[in-house]
Amino acid sequence: MFLNFFESLRKHGINVTLGEWLDLMNALNSGLIGGSLSRFYYGAKMILVKSETDFDKYDEAFDECFKAAQSNPEVGAEMLRWLDKSDMMQLAEMEAKDHLNKMEGEGIIIDKDDVEQKFKQRLKDQDSEHNGGSFWIGTMGKTSFGNTGGNIGGVRVGGMTGYQSAFAVMGARKYRDFRDDRVMTNRQFQLAFRRLRQFSSRLDTNERELDIDKTVDETCNQGGVLKIEMRKPRKNSVKLLLLMDSGGTMIPYSSLLNELFQSVNKSNHYKEVKCYYFHNCIYSHVYKTPECENGDWVETNWLFRNTDKDYKVIIVGDAAMAPEEFYSDTGNYRGPNDGLSGEEWLKSLKRHYKKVVWLNPKMAPGAAPWREIETVLKQMFPMYKLSVSGLDKAMSKLMENR
Amino acid sequence: MSKFDGTKGYVASPELMDAVNISIALQKPLLVKGEPGTGKTMLAQSVADALGKKLIIWNIKSTTKAQDGLYMYDTIQRLYDGQFGEGGVDDIAHYIKLGKLGEAFESDEQVVLLIDEIDKADLEFPNDLLWELDQMEFYINETKRTVKAKTRPIVIITSNAEKELPDAFLRRCIFHYIEFPGKELMTEIVKVHFPDVEENLLNEAMDVFYQIRDIRDIRKKPSTSELIDWINALQIGGIPYGQIKAKLPFIGVVVKKDEDMELATHQNF
Repeated sequence: MFLNFFESLRKHGINVTLGEWLDLMNALNSGLIGGSLSRFYYGAKMILVKSETDFDKYDEAFDECFKAAQSNPEVGAEMLRWLDKSDMMQLAEMEAKDHLNKMEGEGIIIDKDDVEQKFKQRLKDQDSEHNGGSFWIGTMGKTSFGNTGGNIGGVRVGGMTGYQSAFAVMGARKYRDFRDDRVMTNRQFQLAFRRLRQFSSRLDTNERELDIDKTVDETCNQGGVLKIEMRKPRKNSVKLLLLMDSGGTMIPYSSLLNELFQSVNKSNHYKEVKCYYFHNCIYSHVYKTPECENGDWVETNWLFRNTDKDYKVIIVGDAAMAPEEFYSDTGNYRGPNDGLSGEEWLKSLKRHYKKVVWLNPKMAPGAAPWREIETVLKQMFPMYKLSVSGLDKAMSKLMENR
Repeated sequence: MSKFDGTKGYVASPELMDAVNISIALQKPLLVKGEPGTGKTMLAQSVADALGKKLIIWNIKSTTKAQDGLYMYDTIQRLYDGQFGEGGVDDIAHYIKLGKLGEAFESDEQVVLLIDEIDKADLEFPNDLLWELDQMEFYINETKRTVKAKTRPIVIITSNAEKELPDAFLRRCIFHYIEFPGKELMTEIVKVHFPDVEENLLNEAMDVFYQIRDIRDIRKKPSTSELIDWINALQIGGIPYGQIKAKLPFIGVVVKKDEDMELATHQNF
């Protein structure tokens, strides 16, 4: 029963196991969650999905399978073909946002029933493909119907990605914020930073910790005469260098960076933590404070001299800067760069340290050639999105043994 | 079969009631997550009350080991007794003390077992309980005795999502995420605590409360229990209608951080 639902869930990344599926069948058979679509929705959710971070994926899968049961507008295959314009999605999303802003400004209220009524009426009248118009059902348009359109409150017809359709529970995507690929805050940082552990007992200290196991063994060996064994304390030997972009395009992320800084500072189990700031790109100086005041800085070369190659470097920045600035060898307006371009400075940083990762709070999910510098930097450093899963991956990358 | 449908002192959403009933019927632990202050711990109390069963609470701390919940072998007491020649030293069973889980298993009647804040413990903690929660039995090595549940307890587990729980553990649970209540449900909840709260005061306080929660950069979102405390304070303080938004009296009950306080006082309510 509902095998397509099972497949759809797995396709959307929820690893439902056979055991859980059988539990669901069991619950259905005993009449616990039958009766209505929404009870089934909630019932199946609590049995199959075990984390609120997956609720959004569940909603998508559910919507995909049971969309027909939801509103059942009769949409022919022909019409779906007209509407398949997924490649234009990116563009349309921006347009949609503009339009939404405008609508808010004009105070237009969208009424669900009204929209649905009109949709059915227009479905009857329409007989050809329409794109970009403002009346017929089609893509990229401004009517309330069709997909990739700018009208947020409309009825969406088909289409693969995107998803801004239904008013119904499943479509509201109210769990979107819980997804663990979203940008994060608070103590999740600290948890991720715990991954950065490399215990080493090769420290320059005395043997000053009681080795209980060895003491017991030795004492037994001597027939009960106490023999105390000591050992060197095991300490985390990870040294961390945090370089954060500050100001300009990073201002929206300031509280996020603050959290990150706090959690690194709170994790007192590192051997050493150093933290410096830069503006847009690292040049001949890095700043001691997020304000990036000229003078309150250290030379980048000094930093290289004073931090050895074993430092694990985390660069946080949005990698959004003009290519002219990145490749220019005359410095940017925030200070000198010793005749080397940003690209050169980053290259020497890459040469100096063994492990460098870049965390980007607004990284494009795939290849994004229009973000020129981001693309260049992605090739230079392993770059991850500053989100729960991204940070986890970045930390594992830093700990890789290679 | 016994069925849970909320109690007078606890307002549960229909989904939550379904979740409780499904977990009882399928005999699986119910894992409840949600923002702090959404009544996760209260749920167990209310389920116990509604079904007329005894509630056993196992509070998890960062130092709790799975073994603590099963049983403890009090070797020190036995050593003492041995030295002073007290009676019963030969009988190890005398020194086996059952933990909360053991207590729930040994109970003659079905009980509600609350494992509170399971994420506080070590990462491996839930894995150590897999067999015990699945089979509802454990083995005492020292006395070669198996403690098996006479009746399967109703197990409710709460988590604040501080740590990820292992998949193997999650697979065995029914999961429910308690959402933060909307205004309507919140009104109902407040009225359970203060049946004759003044309508104006309540509305005004709720407006402020939800607006504070919606501030974009707020560090710690205020929770239900804080709202209830605040309304209580407002009632006792006798704040006249219309003053709450203007003066934010006793706002410290709701807002707990310096940064948040600054944000809140600069809001236009």
